[in-house]
Amino acid sequence: MTWLWASVKTYSFAQPTALLNPLSIVLNNSMPNIVEIAVSNDSFTTLVAAVQAAGLVEALQSPGPFTVFAPTDEAFAQLPPGTVQTLVQNPPQLARILKFHVVMGKLTQADLARLKTVTSLEGSMIPVNCENNVFEVKNATVVAADIEADNGIIHVIDRVILMG
Amino acid sequence: MTITTATKIPPSTHEFATVIHRLEAGGAMLPDTPENLMQIIGLYKAYAVPMDFYWRDLLYIAEQVFLDPLPAFKYFLPQEYLDLANHYAGDDADLRIWQKGAASAHPELLEFMEKGRSAKMPKIFHHLLHDRINMEFAEACMQAMYWQRGMGGQFDPYLDTEEYKQNADRAIKAYFKGNPAMLGLYKLFPEMFIEQVRQMSYYSNLGLFWEVMAPVFFEMSDLYDAGKIKSVPDAMNFLVNGIFAVAGRPIYHHVYIRGELFEIIPKSCGFTWLYEAALPYVEAVFYRTAPFRGTKSYNAQAEQVPGEQKDFHYGILYADVNPVGSAGIPPTLLMDDMYHFLPQYLLDYYEQHCRGKDDMLIQLGVSFQRSMYCVTSAVIQALRGALLYPLDDPNPLHLQANRDFFESQIDRFKRPEARLRDIQSQEYR
Repeated sequence: MTWLWASVKTYSFAQPTALLNPLSIVLNNSMPNIVEIAVSNDSFTTLVAAVQAAGLVEALQSPGPFTVFAPTDEAFAQLPPGTVQTLVQNPPQLARILKFHVVMGKLTQADLARLKTVTSLEGSMIPVNCENNVFEVKNATVVAADIEADNGIIHVIDRVILMG
Repeated sequence: MTITTATKIPPSTHEFATVIHRLEAGGAMLPDTPENLMQIIGLYKAYAVPMDFYWRDLLYIAEQVFLDPLPAFKYFLPQEYLDLANHYAGDDADLRIWQKGAASAHPELLEFMEKGRSAKMPKIFHHLLHDRINMEFAEACMQAMYWQRGMGGQFDPYLDTEEYKQNADRAIKAYFKGNPAMLGLYKLFPEMFIEQVRQMSYYSNLGLFWEVMAPVFFEMSDLYDAGKIKSVPDAMNFLVNGIFAVAGRPIYHHVYIRGELFEIIPKSCGFTWLYEAALPYVEAVFYRTAPFRGTKSYNAQAEQVPGEQKDFHYGILYADVNPVGSAGIPPTLLMDDMYHFLPQYLLDYYEQHCRGKDDMLIQLGVSFQRSMYCVTSAVIQALRGALLYPLDDPNPLHLQANRDFFESQIDRFKRPEARLRDIQSQEYR
């Protein structure tokens, strides 16, 4: 870890966050995989395009299981102009940022609350804060938790998370 | 943007509380005054021109000169590298946000390379008379990064992997093909050669980093001249957006041996501009580096030099510009380079202060220090944006996390050598 980043810590936040589950309807049918869930939802247009550009579709359709922290379109839109464009032009670099949003294993909110820190496929650690009725992944808030897929689980987040 | 953090969390009690509150309000460590803005933008412009030479030559050395045991002509940039299209300038730029001007070498640089400060003459005479761009400065920055090593990111650990050594081995054998003496030496001292290749990889790293910064600084100067950058926060925010825009730019090391490409560090490694180049660069060059030879004597046994490299504090943010302005050392070489390209408004400004022309290099060095405090502020704000929370976040706990981050960063400037105190006043020249 760079010394510049060394002082970034995680904190417990008491503000309650409502956990929405707009995709629960999907669960009523036969279980789709992570990619199918993302494609079927209008909120993940950028994420789906990014996963395709990075060549990670096949990997995310494999048995896994994976835990995916999925940023919404609004989350990507918060990044300054040019950020996504540069990443899409460079698939290996894009893949690395996306892998930071994926963890091996099927980890529910309860599992994550217990673990507090998980290792991403990128290799860097992701701190998780589930204390005092909040569910935060690094500096993002989970807006929809525990969306089950055939090959893992999705937690929808409101910000793209970055290593460091 | 006016941020009212102060009403949501109690005021900071930090020694530099004014600076902390300024950062929380979306400002920089450098106070927002027209005089500061003029100095930093003028210096960005003066820095961008030699930087246009530095990045081209760094890539030329990394890609073409490579392991030449007697690289006497490594500063003789061939036309191919003067014409090399900057990926972030010109009409075909990868990212059309700073694409003004041509993607090839800047006209002011070409003019200086032709005439120097003396007269038009063959390149070799300009070189021998040292009437040229001081490429030694760029190499000193590269060496600072290489010597410090281990400052985050995956680039540096990759240099010690077996995969890297195999890539380097292929390139070394190809480069010295038909040269039994060098191949014999390689067999005897393989690590020595690998070590040289690692250094070349850092040449490439820094070259790719500065390839981005040169057009950014040119663009800032143009925007200031056009009245579109009006304050220090405007300048800082332009840099913050730039940092994000190119964060994902690949960092790699390619070598061309007799026309054949050897990927010592392929783009597919996924190394990025932000994590593998920009952050290590700022850490190594702005904060740490090492004491410059001949500037001051240190007694290591009396703990005048930190025991840990991470505590080194000899970068531009801490430098005493007077002794650092001694002849021949890296910062002076840069000051000399920038001196050739100062905009007229800065030349006029320096004439009015201190000893006018006689100490212009020192005045310029102090302005450079101010400009780098602005760049460092941009890095700190970019990290806050990437890893923490918006400045107008409604959650007080998030604001406190931002506060703690800012305070921990500013803690590094508590030591007496730091120039953060000095740059708060316009009288520091």
